[in-house]
Amino acid sequence: MVLDFNTIYYPGRFERLIEDFFKPQPGEGRRMAFPPLNVSEDEANYYVRSEVPGMAMDAVELTLTEKSLVIRGERPTEQGKYYRQERPAGFFQRVVALNVPVDRDKVRATLTDGVLTVVLPKCEGAAPKKISIDVA
Amino acid sequence: MSENTASQNEPKALPRVSPATDILEREDGFYVYMDIPGVRRGDLSIDINENELTVTGRALQGAAEKESFLEVQFGPGEYVRAVSLSDRVDRERITASLKDGVLTLHLPRLEKLAPRRIPVLSA
Repeated sequence: MVLDFNTIYYPGRFERLIEDFFKPQPGEGRRMAFPPLNVSEDEANYYVRSEVPGMAMDAVELTLTEKSLVIRGERPTEQGKYYRQERPAGFFQRVVALNVPVDRDKVRATLTDGVLTVVLPKCEGAAPKKISIDVA
Repeated sequence: MSENTASQNEPKALPRVSPATDILEREDGFYVYMDIPGVRRGDLSIDINENELTVTGRALQGAAEKESFLEVQFGPGEYVRAVSLSDRVDRERITASLKDGVLTLHLPRLEKLAPRRIPVLSA
């Protein structure tokens, strides 16, 4: 029997397959909506973090409504002849629903190295209070 | 998602991530843009080894210890990406800049070599 390795076979093909498997991949969850969001809380604040690379602070529009925080902006497209385009471009918007009261006047936002951090302080009244039960 | 929370406890074992990259050509050469949010300038290294340019950067995304996460869609990671260079790129004049989490590499074209006549020697 003659094994005919035609053009489909070339040396190193299977090695390459295995190499590709171990190469760094786009992270899990990174293919979700742009920009990715992290939401966390501690005793005093809620934190909303987002990766918005390439955006200046004044290009990111943050809106705090009664029940939600809206992050909106537009990523510009570079001019030129593209060989590869993986970075998301164009308008984006993400809405974070706030089901808890926050201190609206003390909300702060910072943007460093393309990571946006919004700190939403919890309302004084929203902190859990202990109710002591007196024994009758 | 569970990988992200696990790696926050062990900063040494960061997941390796391939950053989103644009490669484009303009009149003055090639441009490479990489999204590497959270990487500081000191945590970024760019190496050229023969025909390959490798970008490595660490994004640590420090969070306070007491925070509990309600939603995690990104986390700390090590960005690794290799770009192969064509022979037309002038390696000596490659420039890189990092702004707002985007790395910009400018790879200028090699100046055209002046034409030269090769004399034929008689044996």
